[in-house]
Amino acid sequence: MLDFTILSENFDMFLEGFLNTLYVSFLALIGSFVLGTILAIFRIAPIKPLNWIGTIYVEFIRNIPLLIILFFIFTGLPVFEIRLSGFVAGTLALMIYTAAFIAEAIRAGILSVPKGQMEAARSSGLTYTQAMWHVILPQAIKIVIPPLGNQFINLVKNSSILTIVAAGELMYQGDLISSRTFVTFDVYIFVAVFYLIITLPLSLGVNRLEKRLAQSN
Amino acid sequence: MIKFENVHKHFGDFHVLNNINLEINKGEVVVIIGPSGSGKSTLLRCMNQLETISEGRLEVNGVVLSDKKVNINEFRKNVGMVFQHFNLYPNKTVLENIMLAPVKVLKKSKEEAKKTALYYLEKVGILEKADAYPSQLSGGQQQRVAIARGLAMNPQIMLFDEPTSALDPEMIGEVLDVMKALALEGMTMVVVTHEMGFAREVADRIIFIDKGQILEDADPTEFYNQPKDERARLFLSRILNH
Ligand SMILES: Nc1ncnc2c1ncn2[C@@H]1O[C@H](COP(=O)(O)OP(=O)(O)OP(=O)(O)O)[C@@H](O)[C@H]1O
Ligand SMILES: [Mg+2]
Repeated sequence: MLDFTILSENFDMFLEGFLNTLYVSFLALIGSFVLGTILAIFRIAPIKPLNWIGTIYVEFIRNIPLLIILFFIFTGLPVFEIRLSGFVAGTLALMIYTAAFIAEAIRAGILSVPKGQMEAARSSGLTYTQAMWHVILPQAIKIVIPPLGNQFINLVKNSSILTIVAAGELMYQGDLISSRTFVTFDVYIFVAVFYLIITLPLSLGVNRLEKRLAQSN
Repeated sequence: MIKFENVHKHFGDFHVLNNINLEINKGEVVVIIGPSGSGKSTLLRCMNQLETISEGRLEVNGVVLSDKKVNINEFRKNVGMVFQHFNLYPNKTVLENIMLAPVKVLKKSKEEAKKTALYYLEKVGILEKADAYPSQLSGGQQQRVAIARGLAMNPQIMLFDEPTSALDPEMIGEVLDVMKALALEGMTMVVVTHEMGFAREVADRIIFIDKGQILEDADPTEFYNQPKDERARLFLSRILNH
């Protein structure tokens, strides 16, 4: 049977890990959403150099493992005299990595809005940015919400690799407890439950939002 | 008001507009007809720079569009456009559709923009739909909202690209009536349409275009009775006998 004393005796550490994972995820989520939206607009805007920057970023970042991005930031940047804690380096890596996927989701959403919408908005005198903001993005967001929700769930799960830079998050605390108590199975079951506490509501929330948006059409 | 001088337009290797010379005066109603793919929409879309010309000189409402440094958003305030597929914003109500540009571009207050919007909704005969969403309207009603949306900017010129060709036959009349009323008020209008009744009744001139060239620029009665160009004659007999 599951050994609940592992949970109760190490509850402080589990809790600290849980809160750190929440914190990392929240920061990376905000960061990757902002960066991803900017990158998506870069890729679509009628300005060639911006298209290139957006494309290069997305194609490079989403085609290399998150672990390598993390290593580069944590061990590569100190070469340039930039030293970051595991927590900061990990959050940055997650943000940079997830932004590439979010950019693609948002771009697909924007492209799915019929071309006539931009034309109608522009021919009434709205600037490109105004048309994007008031006409295109509100329509794109409906299409983007399900894939975006999935990216956020991935982000939470991916944060577990931050354990290798000792970011203090859930997986790291689990590793600590496990190496200290020599219990593996039970510890990681509890770790998994804590992850579910974050990801399940996210998943259900996305489903519900998706249904609501579908009805409003 | 609109002046094309030796205008050419290419899409890659494709020569879509070939040496266009055309002058449209204030208050004129000009109908453009021609076979599918002849460049009618492209010609119209050059007039508000949804397409840019490749060569020549184009002046609209006192602005030389072929110049590099035009303030396009400033220019477009004065030129309304109505599309074949209406292109209303589906996530906004009728009122919000009409108010968006007056508020964002003309910087009108919400109250003022709403007053104007209601005025034009009444004019196109669907005041009661002010709070409906586009998906709740018939095609004819949607197109009338689109016209009201254009008019709410108080433009000098209105462009129409096949405004009735996506409509069920029984709704064509209500849209044409709105356009006729607008023409009678003296609006400068350029209309791509195959509605020959409208052209004959309302248009000051008919432009026939084929393969990117203007082949005929005539008074409607003259055009219907005796098109000078062979292709125009053929085209006319085809649309009149369908
Ligand atoms: N963005 C574009 N890129 C390449 N070719 C285009 C583009 N837009 C239009 N064309 C081509 O230019 C030609 C003229 O198009 P246009 O839409 O002006 O014709 P039209 O006379 O309005 O035809 P229709 O009656 O079918 O609306 C067509 O052959 C079309 O395929
Ligand atoms: Mg056309």
